[in-house]
Amino acid sequence: MIRDFEYFSPKTLKEALTLLDKYQDECKVIAGGQSLLILMRQRLVMPEYLIDIKGISELNYIKSDAKEGLRIGALTTHRAIEKSPAMKNGFSVLAEMEHRLASIQTRNWGTIGGNICHADPTGDPAPVLIALNATLSTASLKGKRNMALEDFCLDYFETALEPGELLTEIQVPAVPPHTGTAYAKFNIIESDMATVGVAVSITLGSGDGMCKDIRIVLGACASTPMRAKQAEEVLRGRKITDNLFKEAGQIASQEAEPISDISASEEYRRELVKVLVARVGKEALARANQA
Amino acid sequence: MLIEGKFTLQAPIQEVWDLLFEIDTLAACIPGAEKIEPIDDRTYDAIVKQKVGPITVRFKFITTLTEIDPPRHVTAEGRGEDIGKAGTFTQKTSVDLTEISEDSVEISYSSNVSLVGRLATFGERIMRAKAKQVGEEITKNLQERLKSRIAS
Repeated sequence: MIRDFEYFSPKTLKEALTLLDKYQDECKVIAGGQSLLILMRQRLVMPEYLIDIKGISELNYIKSDAKEGLRIGALTTHRAIEKSPAMKNGFSVLAEMEHRLASIQTRNWGTIGGNICHADPTGDPAPVLIALNATLSTASLKGKRNMALEDFCLDYFETALEPGELLTEIQVPAVPPHTGTAYAKFNIIESDMATVGVAVSITLGSGDGMCKDIRIVLGACASTPMRAKQAEEVLRGRKITDNLFKEAGQIASQEAEPISDISASEEYRRELVKVLVARVGKEALARANQA
Repeated sequence: MLIEGKFTLQAPIQEVWDLLFEIDTLAACIPGAEKIEPIDDRTYDAIVKQKVGPITVRFKFITTLTEIDPPRHVTAEGRGEDIGKAGTFTQKTSVDLTEISEDSVEISYSSNVSLVGRLATFGERIMRAKAKQVGEEITKNLQERLKSRIAS
């Protein structure tokens, strides 16, 4: 049973930040509650003050600009992203990822900001957003901060968010020409969290099959989403062949730091990385060729 | 869950053995250790605090050294619980010291931890990953202690 708490429902960002500043470590922020409520029901987290930010409409939006890319408010639900017409061309991978995230019920309530701030290493959005070079903004009474999403996730369930701070927006830059991004996750039950997740983004040099840039991001393989940088080096700046994908998969599976648990052994996770990096890499390449 | 590992220290086996039995040193090497107190010459009472994201646990536990075979082997058993009632655990750990040379020792440890309660149902994979991290930190701290001890 959830332990009793005092409940606040601010309607503006300023109100929320004022409450956060007042209660600091004694309060928790709740949006869709799809992660926090599980912890609260288990009494693993028992805040005295709960700040419900779901009503802050100024943080719920998807803005799209041909040059700037996407700007997604932190309170945008997974379902809204999944269904948004802005998720086309280079951003379609976001809608695909959201489509396989948990269940419709969870997607209707859960927010992208809540997901990122919960920082579960098995999460689906972070690897895809990192592959797309996403950045984010935070706000507190002291001011605003901006940083790369890659730098925001620090450890299991820990982010760079400071006390009194809220995540406000996620920015996804416009996709460069000849770029394709894909994501796949392995799970045993549909709508379950990833046993292993892999996102790959490939940018081709114009018309010559050369890999100008590549980003390989692994989910559920370490304490945070993990760039498989050694695997990336196999392909970056070289003419892409199937063998290179195979080699990249091999290197990524050694680079990864998965653990054994009830879903899979460490060995099996490494095998999944090897296969998925090659498979998703080829899909990203196919999309880059069409872009 | 089984937590195992091994590492090598550049020190004579007796020095390493002695270090493991220095309670203050051990307390300093275990991240989050708030207290470790001997109850008798084989039993220790301890409180260790750990944090994973928004979840904080404070484990109060009793450890008994059931087998002591200096300077090569020690087995410890114990049970404990989270002060916040999120879970209880039992553990059996064996530590083996193998002399590689006059000045170098391999330490291998194997810990079987059984966790029951809310921490186990929700937190199994988190606990497991965190346990691995904590194990690595302990061995790193022990290595640093020994290095500075030998240097001085």
